[in-house]
Amino acid sequence: MPAIADRSSSPFKAMLAAKSCELAGSGGCRPPQKRRLRSDTAAAAKESPVSTPMKLKSPRRRLDSSPSSPANRVKKDPSEKTLKKCWNPRDVEQIRAVKEAVHVSTAPSTVVCREDEQKRVLDFCKACVQQEKAGSLYVCGCPGTGKSLSMELVKQQVIDWAKMEGLQPPEVLAMNCTSLANTSVIFSKILGMHQPKKKSIGSASPLQHLQNLYSNKQAQSSSKMMLIIADELDYLITRDRAVLHDLFMLTTFPFSRCILIGIANSIDLADRFLPRLQSLNCKPMVVTFRAYSKDQILSILQERLLVLPYIVFHQQALELCARKVAAASGDMRKALSVCRSAVEILEAELRESASNTGLTSAEGDFVSPQTALAHEVFPSQENNTVRIDHMALALSKTFRSPIVDTIQSLPQHQQIILCSAVKYFRGGKKDTTVGELNKSYIDICKSALIPPVGILEFSSMCRVLNDQGLFKLGQSRDDKFKRVTLKVDEADISFALQGVRLFRNCLQ
Amino acid sequence: MPTETPRKQFQSPKKPKQSPNNVKSQSSTPSIHLSPQTPQLPLRRSSRRSLQPFTSKTVDEMLDLSTPRKALEDLDGIGKCSGNNRKESSVRTPRAPKCKFNEEDREIPEMGKVGEGNGVVEDAFCPVSPEALESKKTKKGLSEEGSVKMGKSPKCKLNEDLGKLGEGNGDVVLPEKRKKGLRNEESVKTRKSLRCKLSEEREIPDLGKLGEATFFPVSPQALESKKRKKGEEKRAVTRAMATRSLKKVNKEEKKGRKRVYYKKVVYDGGEFEVGDDVYVKRREDASSDDEVPEMEECRVCFKVGRGVMIECDDCLGGFHLKCLTPPLKEVPDGDWVCGFCQARKLGKDVEFPKPPEGKKRVRTLREKLLASDLWAARIESLWKEVDGSYWLRGRWYIIPEETASGRQPHNLKRELYRTNDFADIEMESIIRHCNVMSPKEYAKANDQGDDVFLCEYEYDIQWHSFKRLAEIDNDEDGECANGDEDWNSCKEDDSDTDEDMEYEEENERNAHARPSTTHQLAANSRKGRFFGIQKVGTKMIPEHVRCHKQTELERAKATLLLATLPKSLPCRNKEMEEITTFVKGAICDDQCLGRCLYIHGVPGTGKTMSVLAVMRNIKSEVDAGSIRPYCFVEVNGLKLAAPENIYTVIYEALTGHRVSWKKALQLLNERFSDGKKIAKGDDRPCILLIDELDLLVTRNQSVLYNILDWPTKPHSKLIVIGIANTMDLPEKLLPRISSRMGIQRLCFGPYNYQQLQEIISSRLKGIDAFEKQAVEFASRKVAAISGDARRALEICRRAAEIADYNMKNQISSVNSSRVKDVVTMADVDAAIQEMFQAPHVQVMKSCSKLSKIFLTAMVYELYKTGMGETTFEKLAMTFSCLCTSNGEAFPGWDTLLKVGCKLGECRIILCEAGDRHMVQKLQLNFPSDDVAFALKGSKDLPWLAKYL
Repeated sequence: MPAIADRSSSPFKAMLAAKSCELAGSGGCRPPQKRRLRSDTAAAAKESPVSTPMKLKSPRRRLDSSPSSPANRVKKDPSEKTLKKCWNPRDVEQIRAVKEAVHVSTAPSTVVCREDEQKRVLDFCKACVQQEKAGSLYVCGCPGTGKSLSMELVKQQVIDWAKMEGLQPPEVLAMNCTSLANTSVIFSKILGMHQPKKKSIGSASPLQHLQNLYSNKQAQSSSKMMLIIADELDYLITRDRAVLHDLFMLTTFPFSRCILIGIANSIDLADRFLPRLQSLNCKPMVVTFRAYSKDQILSILQERLLVLPYIVFHQQALELCARKVAAASGDMRKALSVCRSAVEILEAELRESASNTGLTSAEGDFVSPQTALAHEVFPSQENNTVRIDHMALALSKTFRSPIVDTIQSLPQHQQIILCSAVKYFRGGKKDTTVGELNKSYIDICKSALIPPVGILEFSSMCRVLNDQGLFKLGQSRDDKFKRVTLKVDEADISFALQGVRLFRNCLQ
Repeated sequence: MPTETPRKQFQSPKKPKQSPNNVKSQSSTPSIHLSPQTPQLPLRRSSRRSLQPFTSKTVDEMLDLSTPRKALEDLDGIGKCSGNNRKESSVRTPRAPKCKFNEEDREIPEMGKVGEGNGVVEDAFCPVSPEALESKKTKKGLSEEGSVKMGKSPKCKLNEDLGKLGEGNGDVVLPEKRKKGLRNEESVKTRKSLRCKLSEEREIPDLGKLGEATFFPVSPQALESKKRKKGEEKRAVTRAMATRSLKKVNKEEKKGRKRVYYKKVVYDGGEFEVGDDVYVKRREDASSDDEVPEMEECRVCFKVGRGVMIECDDCLGGFHLKCLTPPLKEVPDGDWVCGFCQARKLGKDVEFPKPPEGKKRVRTLREKLLASDLWAARIESLWKEVDGSYWLRGRWYIIPEETASGRQPHNLKRELYRTNDFADIEMESIIRHCNVMSPKEYAKANDQGDDVFLCEYEYDIQWHSFKRLAEIDNDEDGECANGDEDWNSCKEDDSDTDEDMEYEEENERNAHARPSTTHQLAANSRKGRFFGIQKVGTKMIPEHVRCHKQTELERAKATLLLATLPKSLPCRNKEMEEITTFVKGAICDDQCLGRCLYIHGVPGTGKTMSVLAVMRNIKSEVDAGSIRPYCFVEVNGLKLAAPENIYTVIYEALTGHRVSWKKALQLLNERFSDGKKIAKGDDRPCILLIDELDLLVTRNQSVLYNILDWPTKPHSKLIVIGIANTMDLPEKLLPRISSRMGIQRLCFGPYNYQQLQEIISSRLKGIDAFEKQAVEFASRKVAAISGDARRALEICRRAAEIADYNMKNQISSVNSSRVKDVVTMADVDAAIQEMFQAPHVQVMKSCSKLSKIFLTAMVYELYKTGMGETTFEKLAMTFSCLCTSNGEAFPGWDTLLKVGCKLGECRIILCEAGDRHMVQKLQLNFPSDDVAFALKGSKDLPWLAKYL
């Protein structure tokens, strides 16, 4: 990867180089592929992995050159896309390739839209390795914002860079704290990296060993830097916060050689749990991964789909997905699974239509072959991409609030309970107990001449409603005194129940 | 043991000598040229017998034993001592020591350093055979020798040997003993991958001379087996020996038709004791049994003998040190793996060299056992049948391939499992001893020969579980001993009836077992019955149960049971289709991208059942071959002692090993995150079904995190299906977990009444026991409250029970001609009342008279004052009012207080502690309507109604 080294030395040159590279790539690589595509799509699908590296590189370079102009990119994209052919969703191979491309587990070789953060982390690591001093870094951000993925890449880049520079590459210990059986195991793991051969010796704990190790000057030969990447750092928070504290304190020892990178969701973990570090003036540097914006999500999705030599998604469909997800959480995983489910919806639709056309084609034989062909080709071009309506369906499956449906499908008595709760809370109260609610329920039942169910039955129904997310039940030993709060809006309930006269009367 | 056996054997053939008729019959047979002292028949038999159990490795020794007669004939032909038995025997005496000497000579190299010893032995022996041959030839010039066919040639040579060696065939004892000794030595094999086999020293020059090396093992073998078969038919002879062994055990044979149990039986020269391990023939007619186990051949040159052999630790094949490339000078320390296995491990295709044309590779008993062409069993008891046949009760050993989990990577090549499967086996089918050892013994056993096996676990054939022998052996041994004691004592007293019954039962069972002593049959006919002696697990099924024909109602009851698996699952087609597409979509493509599906819904809406039905369908497709195999792990969160234990469960399901959860977590992480393979070739997709997912939520939710994180890893091939009641579980979890959970949700809504009706009627298809309205009524009632299918089924079942009960009452009380056997609305209503009516109503209905009045007074007081709470004083006043106005006696304050406290204990009323007497506060725990409903219809106190 000479390009990376170039960039690090002078970004300007790199830009030029990248552009020329892109030009060369488009000039040299694409046309033959196009030809192949036209001749045989299936073959192209098989070929696609071969062509990926070239294709992957180009967009990133472009991003480098103009990181702050997503609009440009969006405009540019369709022009590029027109070169691609539509895919054929009936082809199993292609479907598989598409699904793989949008799957969470396929890590892209580059992480788009996280260049700044990566660069900061990388710079930090480089500085540490160069000066051979310890340091700590805390990476935070919402789930699905590419933290772990970026760290994976940074890890590799640091090693590559160190090799390039002729420095001793640091040893890397990457772990996920959730998979530790016990929080303090982390120290023995670190120690194990330091002294792979030695078995733990007797009395001293691994932590003490490490502390000894780092407080005394050691022979130069054994002093490899160590890069520790601890994912889901907050799992190390114990009641006395000792482990987390000790871990960060390791970097403050005079001869410490570890670079600690912690990853977690909460933004203020360092402030909350490591006050003492602040007083020692070695508070970890914080890198925040913000939730993706819609443009970022869009570009990431497009970058992933570049792998494929054909159009799968309509531009608008992708944009809708990006907007929706960005508005909700900015979670990339979610965006990917929405895309996947949209593909599946299309697949199911085609399967259905295929079974239908299978029936109709038999009788439609009289149509002249040419028109039939034209008829076939044109709609298939249209049909074969994932359109905005597919995406909307997938999104609604994900983000819709199923409350109205749920309420409507509830058994009658549970609906009465909801109704009575609405009535009860009309008075401005916020919560009540199960016993009180039961009385209100019995009143409604009586007014409607429905025999009410017993209190035991009633409380079990309340539990079911709690499970459905309509109620919130408090904790209490006695069923009767559990606190009940309504978790959904009154308006939703009255909307859902307005079809039934009984409830309409009740809720008037 | 090996040192003792020869002596006993030594005695056994002599025994018949004392019987004079035997001798006569012997001498009358025309073919004998043996000394009259040694009766031929038993002798040959015994020798053959002993041969069978102890495969001789040296070909000509085998020959000399198996064909003594032939040998003699040849000797006659030579004319050296034609028919002169006396002379022969006289010759024998001086020669005998020499023979022994030879034997000792052989021993030395065997025991010592093998590589060098070989040479020494060859030196010592070489002179013998050429000399023998030459002497023959010079003496006779023998045209026979020239014209020998390949089958005969070894025999001839043999005879010469025999003649030379001391003409010992006058008495088989000697050769046999010699053979025994040799056998013991030759079977010595250092387990540590060095197998030393002393080759046939004499054979080499002979072969060189005769030039027919490749063929000659075949013919003696065929001959041998033929003779063995003939010998097997006559069993009477062995009886004599067995009776002798009887004395050894100090058991007197009883008269009458009784079995006699022995501790030790000498059978055809082999001594078998309770607790020994033996090879057992698999089928009487199996072709594999025809070949007598042979001394193991080299895998390269396919010759027996010729120097030191080394055993490969992987394929257990034997190789001459010389045949290896490069040849080894001496047996190396530590594990040694042959070049073929090494190549195979590197992924190359290797073929073992083919045996030369016309020669089949002869397998040893050990090989056959490990290829499951033979069986091994442990003798649990030995007895003589009434007809004089000898039987043993064996406990089978099985090879790892025969277990449910198959051969695991940790299984050693020579590992066996002891089962809890017993079978009665005729002594005839025993081949010979083998050694099954515990790991400790096995580690020490360096030179126990080829028939050494390791057994560490007991395998339960019914439950497919493994148990470490060390853990169970202690108590079980004690148990066994006790059982034996019991048996002995009960045999001592001559209670005929009991004994005979037992005998008959046993006999019958034997008749079952006899036709084929296969595992299968044994397992089936003896399920749950251990040791045959105790009558365990017999169950009387009374006649009326068998003859009774089920009525419609009873069938309805049975089919409505929750445990009954319905034939079809109506009303969940859409959901099942969705699950099917999910699972198939996940496992069908080769990539097998990890996914996660969350299924939620209220209880009793068929969540688990649908998933399992889908999995069954897919399983059948896998069986049909249209889908690649996958592994399916089902975990119920409720059945885990702690959420972390799920790692253990998953790991065990994947590999069959049970480790602690920490270790399991580490290993599973390796497998799913790092893509390491736990087991070889285990890259099948894995479907993990977690029922009651919400119970896995720990304080920091790491369990769920880990499980849901694996599918997002590139090579995990893990598909997680979570089931829970809570609809918004993902939202309740930490965002990082719900982010990993994905968006695939599936909701199982509560059933509406049409669906419930369909479910019930689909179950009742073909049974005409329910009125249509009754079913509808039940389903409507349930659908209005919970939509729980379980409950609907329970109500219907209960209604059927009530109807059944009523019907039977009617039949017994009034002999009415028309009895309705249909479940009506009334029955369903009764069932619903029972089901939905809270238990407190039942309690109130059935409580005592005073309590009833007490409750009525409470309600009355409530009506009067409108206050929920009252004091005991006020209540007592009301109570006495009620009593006096209705002609009841007022029981007194103390009793009343007691009644109040009782009701308080039942939580029908809420009351303060009883020591507050008058000022004790009381309150009804249930709505007054319930009390009124419960007490209105009370028969003993009809006047209560007017106060309610």
